[in-house]
Amino acid sequence: MIDIKFNKRLLVVWLVLASLTLAYLWIDHSLAGTPRASAVITSSVIVIALVKVRIIFREFMEVRQAPALLCRLTDAWVVLMAVALLGCYFIGRTA
Amino acid sequence: MSAVAAQAVSAAAPPSGPLHHRIAWHLRHDPKRELWLAWGALVVFYNIFFPVFFIVAQVQPPPQPTWDLATQVHWFHERHLGIPVGFGVIFAISGMIATNNALIAYSMRRMSVSRAFGYSYLLIYSFSAVPGMLLLNIALVVGTLRPERDPEAIGWLYDFAFLSFDGTMGVFLIGSLIWMLAILLDKNRVFPKWFGYLNLCNALTEVVVAPCWIFRRGVLAWNGQIAWWLDMVVFGIYQVTFIVMLFRMIQREDFADGPLPDRVRQKAVGQ
Amino acid sequence: MTDLVDKSKPARFVPGQPDMWAFVLFETLVFTAYFGFYLFYRARSPELFLHSQAQLDLRIGVFNTLVLLLSSWSVARCVQSSRAGAYRAALRDVFITAAFAAVFLLLKVFEWARLVRMGNGLDSNDFFTYYFFLTGIHFVHLLIGFVVLGVVVYQLRSPARREQELQENIETCATYWHTVDFLWVLIFALLYVVR
Repeated sequence: MIDIKFNKRLLVVWLVLASLTLAYLWIDHSLAGTPRASAVITSSVIVIALVKVRIIFREFMEVRQAPALLCRLTDAWVVLMAVALLGCYFIGRTA
Repeated sequence: MSAVAAQAVSAAAPPSGPLHHRIAWHLRHDPKRELWLAWGALVVFYNIFFPVFFIVAQVQPPPQPTWDLATQVHWFHERHLGIPVGFGVIFAISGMIATNNALIAYSMRRMSVSRAFGYSYLLIYSFSAVPGMLLLNIALVVGTLRPERDPEAIGWLYDFAFLSFDGTMGVFLIGSLIWMLAILLDKNRVFPKWFGYLNLCNALTEVVVAPCWIFRRGVLAWNGQIAWWLDMVVFGIYQVTFIVMLFRMIQREDFADGPLPDRVRQKAVGQ
Repeated sequence: MTDLVDKSKPARFVPGQPDMWAFVLFETLVFTAYFGFYLFYRARSPELFLHSQAQLDLRIGVFNTLVLLLSSWSVARCVQSSRAGAYRAALRDVFITAAFAAVFLLLKVFEWARLVRMGNGLDSNDFFTYYFFLTGIHFVHLLIGFVVLGVVVYQLRSPARREQELQENIETCATYWHTVDFLWVLIFALLYVVR
């Protein structure tokens, strides 16, 4: 019984991740025309990607059911990546 | 611990007393003295290696591939004393590379895996000292010998030295993978599994250095932020870690064939 | 949190060897450094990067991402199946994972060939250096992933293996696989979508 519930949950998780991926196509489509650099687009894209990474951590990699230490570590890593990636991008823009 | 091993260790209990007595006893009777000597040599080697390369000869961090010949000649001229002196020392201690590799191969011999791992590691790493270090040493020493040499020839030596040093990481890659595989397959728990995975991380960063053959500028050049700086950070972490892991291994060694026991506090052994 | 007290929820456990998690976190840091350099240099030459990026086909990238996410889904199912003792289902899930991964690999090689034929190589310009470098090192991780899947197959096929050890090994391998997946999620976003 629990297995069926988990299997359905996994499928739902994949659908969520797939929709977030397809959202990129939508972003790209709405930008049709000459490519322009945009901090807003870049930041949102990075944030969406990190949301996906966190979902993968918590659902696929079962961190949801892991001890608190692992939960906090993976969350800290996501935050660290956000800071590093956005930081490097914005520093590059102003450099 | 098996009864035989327990006997061997308890029969070799060091005496209490003044320091020089204990040291003398260790030098004469400690069953692990060769292991400790090899480990000590490893530490001495790296304590000489890094200062020589970074401070005496100043060949690391590497200079730029994009410099013109005049700048390269000037670079050699600045180091006309540092390079021969520093690398003279390196040539003298390069034999220690053999004992370093032997200690690592010994760790594999202690594992439950086939001896082939230890032997192949020894072979590969013995060979890899040539492109991995000695070619750079020789090329740069040759470069400093005659300052009046044709700049084109100096430029050749410059490229040859740094490409051979950074570009041949591949030979170390296979060795790292062998050690990783041995650690992961080992049932004697000589090293924790995370150390095996760290070998994989190290191996992967070595793959990343390979493109330096193609790039003269940018992050993947032989002095690039990815190919050199980031690689050095990972390599540095790896170096310190494996020196500590070998130390722990020798501490735990019981000269038996089964799983290596966890570290026992000295006082408890006396029971 | 109330679900900690809820008896029907399973006890908290670390999926797979903690050692593999140490590897995952460390490797993620290394990749974050690569990404950091990429974003920094991209922000400094936006025109060049934008113009080169336009030569990538976003649809192939999206499709590849969906395929790799599917492979993560099937490997997660494999872990669930083997936990429930359904080893034949688990074995089938591993082969499905390998199939998805093979599709990804083939598409990647096809993409590379197409770009090279258009005249864009590893040393064409800074964008393509990062492109081939990041997708290349990811490709290497994926190849290692095949070896890891092989380990899962071997474990599932061997008779008389202690259930706990088997489960831990499979979870460890799955953890590696998911890492390959989420690294691609990041690489895809940074190379194909970021503007």
